[in-house]
Amino acid sequence: MKNSAVMKAVRKTITSCKRLTAMLILTVIGSIAIGLVPPLVLEWIINLLTEGKETSFALVMGYFLLLSLSGFMDAKKESLITMFGQKITHQIRSIMCQKLKALLADYYTMQDTGAAVSRFVGDVDTIENLFTSGIISMAADALRLLSILAIIYLKSPGLGLMLLFVLPLLYMMTRSFQKRMLSAQMDNRQAVGSSNNHILDTIRSIRMLHNLKKEPYMEKKYDVHIQERFAAINKSNFYDSVYSPIIMSVNAVLIAVMMVLSAKGGNMMAFFGMSAGTAVAVISYVGKIFEPLESIGMEIQNIQSALAGIRRINDFLNEPEKKQQAQADFKEKENLPAISIQQLHFGYEREKEILQGLTLTVEQGEHITMIGRTGAGKSTIFKLLLGIYEPWSGTIEIFGHNSTAIKEKDRRFIFGYVEQEFHAVPGSILEQITLSDPSISREQAIDALNVVGLWETIKDFPDGLNTIYADSLFSQGQMQLISIARAIASNPRILLLDEITADLDSETEHRVLQALQAASENRTVLSISHRLYEYSGGRCITIS
Amino acid sequence: MKNPKHGQIWYYLKPEKPALAVITLSGIIYNVGMTANPWFEGKLVQYLCDIIDGTKAFHNMLKLALVYTAVILIIQSMRFVKRLYVRKFANHINRAMKEDLYHSMISKSKADLETEGVGSLMTKAIFDVDACAEGIRKFTTEIFDTGVVMIAYFVLLLGYDWRLTIISMLFPPIAYMIANRLKKIVTESAKSYKESAERLSAATYDRIGNALTYRIYGQESNQNALYEKCLVDYEAKAVKANIWENAMQPIYMVISMAGCICVLWFGGKNVSGTGWAQWDIAAFVTFLSCFTKLSVKSSKAAKLFNSVQKASVSWNRIKLWLTPKDEIKIESQIIHKAKTDEKTALEVEHVSFCHKGCPYLFSDISFSAKLGEIIGITGPIACGKSTLGQLLLGEMPYEGTIKMYGDVSYMGHETELISGTIEENILLGDKADVQDALSWVQMDEEVSSMPKGIKTRIGNGGITLSGGQQARIALARTLQHRKEILILDDPFSSIDMETERKIFSTLKELAKNSAVLLFSHRLSLFPQMDKVIWIGKDSFIVSNHQELMSENPEYAAFYRAQTQTNDNKGGSHDEK
Repeated sequence: MKNSAVMKAVRKTITSCKRLTAMLILTVIGSIAIGLVPPLVLEWIINLLTEGKETSFALVMGYFLLLSLSGFMDAKKESLITMFGQKITHQIRSIMCQKLKALLADYYTMQDTGAAVSRFVGDVDTIENLFTSGIISMAADALRLLSILAIIYLKSPGLGLMLLFVLPLLYMMTRSFQKRMLSAQMDNRQAVGSSNNHILDTIRSIRMLHNLKKEPYMEKKYDVHIQERFAAINKSNFYDSVYSPIIMSVNAVLIAVMMVLSAKGGNMMAFFGMSAGTAVAVISYVGKIFEPLESIGMEIQNIQSALAGIRRINDFLNEPEKKQQAQADFKEKENLPAISIQQLHFGYEREKEILQGLTLTVEQGEHITMIGRTGAGKSTIFKLLLGIYEPWSGTIEIFGHNSTAIKEKDRRFIFGYVEQEFHAVPGSILEQITLSDPSISREQAIDALNVVGLWETIKDFPDGLNTIYADSLFSQGQMQLISIARAIASNPRILLLDEITADLDSETEHRVLQALQAASENRTVLSISHRLYEYSGGRCITIS
Repeated sequence: MKNPKHGQIWYYLKPEKPALAVITLSGIIYNVGMTANPWFEGKLVQYLCDIIDGTKAFHNMLKLALVYTAVILIIQSMRFVKRLYVRKFANHINRAMKEDLYHSMISKSKADLETEGVGSLMTKAIFDVDACAEGIRKFTTEIFDTGVVMIAYFVLLLGYDWRLTIISMLFPPIAYMIANRLKKIVTESAKSYKESAERLSAATYDRIGNALTYRIYGQESNQNALYEKCLVDYEAKAVKANIWENAMQPIYMVISMAGCICVLWFGGKNVSGTGWAQWDIAAFVTFLSCFTKLSVKSSKAAKLFNSVQKASVSWNRIKLWLTPKDEIKIESQIIHKAKTDEKTALEVEHVSFCHKGCPYLFSDISFSAKLGEIIGITGPIACGKSTLGQLLLGEMPYEGTIKMYGDVSYMGHETELISGTIEENILLGDKADVQDALSWVQMDEEVSSMPKGIKTRIGNGGITLSGGQQARIALARTLQHRKEILILDDPFSSIDMETERKIFSTLKELAKNSAVLLFSHRLSLFPQMDKVIWIGKDSFIVSNHQELMSENPEYAAFYRAQTQTNDNKGGSHDEK
């Protein structure tokens, strides 16, 4: 755990925000210290009064000022803890985001997006809790508990000893309650999850449910989930309701015992150190001691769940990475072929070799269509060309450059890739084409849309290019056109065209093919689209 | 309040009368009893002084301490009863509301649910009900814990010294007023924090979900920079919102507590005999302790109003959805007739239909279907095939008459599977042997080769199955629940030709007592249909395959185009 990535992030935050860290520590100690003083002043005031003396106004004001100061310190402590926690989570998320660049492509194809996102969102939040309502506040609470105990012991050794006996018992009770409530909460969350799912099911299949008159069946199923939740909540309700009354009762019993024993007089009174003022001060301290006790239980809970979060984040940060390769600036050399593949061997899994010694040369400006049965590795060749996967052996050269050594910034000016399906990104139509790439201008995007013949349609939208993209705005065919525009916006040297899987009617298909043909002009084109080959010709090779 | 209706809050409170009675009783005892605590604290200190002075003896203290303990125990057990019942009460309401809401939701039409939107419905069904019940719970709790107890404390304080009470009690309202003034900033910063969190979560989904697209286009560094911007914004908004929400609390406390200056100063005068009232130490301690508790309570009063506010927003959102089914009338024009001996199952007479503001999709169409008949219906894309099927479900208004002699079973484009096992999806609670239904759709062997067989869970919407498997399970479900009229909208679209043929021959056996309308754009089976209906751009022809082939060039072209390409189409979809 010591050398884990999360701990590195914490250390980095501490060293880069030294002032904040120092201030945080000082404020925590300060707020505890100041919080202890007001009851002492109160004791003083009451002792004066019992002796029949007048209190001074300065003393009264002093009491209030100390109270205010303690309040302000608490506020400052809260704020600083929040700031510190946020700094750390920010740091961790930044590190995780950097990791995304280095991950193998397999991570994205094998993993469910939701699962990966939950590491960024849910798991990092548990770390935020670890600092805000975990370690820092636990340290603060433990310190507070100890200092109150110390003061009580000084003022009233008898009560101090009683508390030393009672507190561990109460603490054990607190933990056991909290554990039971946590398990009830887990049941609750699970039940909420299933009822959420059930509602989603109902909405999705509402027509069928009406038609087959299955409403009663579904209502019965829903009732089961609701009942599960009801039972879970009822269970936690009991513990929730009984905890605080027990603590308050113990509080009262302690005070009563202390007062009775003090009343015995003599040694006992000395043992409990009682004067009227001390009694008032001690009563006020006893009330304060249970609060940190309860918080510490909660904080342990938070720390436990954060540990699971940390483990998951570390797992993520330890995922295997791409090989780092020396990258050279890209220069197009005229006399070299656009693509040169020599003796290429590759497979996704060790046992299953897909490409067995493929050799292929594509001259600049040439149009090539690859054919072959499903699974022969046509799309795989694209992925290797794009440098998403590394070959087992053999070489792939793009204008004489190793495909994995091409710099990120050059990528888009070398390759345009039209995927099987259009993958929309959140944002405007413009951003579908530029992918928020600052090096692609609005004019270039419009040019690309003109090439695919979609500009006329988009121009007439109320917000034009800035219209927020939604699937409902476009037909399947139009989405393919956007995909093509995205690929050619940067005017790439090589165009890779995957087989389009969408079911297009013949008219739309015609438009898409026209757009592809227009996009292919003056470029090197490697395509899997059989339909395009029929349309525009070129060389045809079989991959087997 | 007599006979409250659905959609009124009283409807949910009424069955809870016994619980409310327990809450009221225990709540009042506890909260009035709360004043006993400061009173006893004062008395205990006073007795200690008296014992030191020699005016009281040990047994007085013992008696007082015993009474004190007993009273506190009673009060705290009342508190336990109150807390438990308030929670039970809220839990009951939560359950009742959720059941009603679901009941009303499931009786709405597909169109209604779609207008409402999935997100909104999910929020209503779970989040809003929870917020509502939680609001009711907090409100009920606070009526006693804030309302009653504050009055009790206030009365107690007045009893000790009314002038001092009024002066010292000027400060909590000031704290409350400031809190109220700042409420807008608090809610706004909380809102922009939430929005920033939503943006961050959307950006995370985008960054990871589209990671490969960004990698291919060399945009990973650019995207990381954009993500970093979201993080910076999130950090700033989170800090701001948290500070306003939590860090202000101690400040309000301090303002409320300003009154303690008066209490200590004038109270001290009272004890030394120079003030407005004659106090002993007990009175001083009680007054101070009471005042402190009151200040703490009142600095939290603002939170009560917030929770009530939130609950009422949620209540208004769900109010209309709490009306149960029998009060909603689904209007259907379809005439259902009792079964007759005749074999006619369906009569469509002079029906015309158009979507609002669009040209007629079909006008004045008529056809009928007999039991045991299989009718194939086809036409070019967007000819209105699916619409005709949905029309027969009675979901949309039309002109003309549709008469049905029996019930309809419908299978649409969407498979409408629920998360659960294969068995649950086919039987939907009925008792039957699911193997039969699976064999009808040629899936019995496939399913028994799965590790868990018919108990295999199929995930959300059947996500763990292939498209072809999903379609066949949906078909098996429809066939299991078949009625006199069976409408199948494109049931074979993701099933290969060979399997399609086998399923169709089973269908013919099964549907001897039903009239089957089979909508499809795949025509290979159409030669076997009893009737074929062609929906062209401007035509609606009821005929059969042979006649259409010779008389309708559009249909003939359509059929030929398919039988030629059939060899390399179809079949490929059903592989994993």
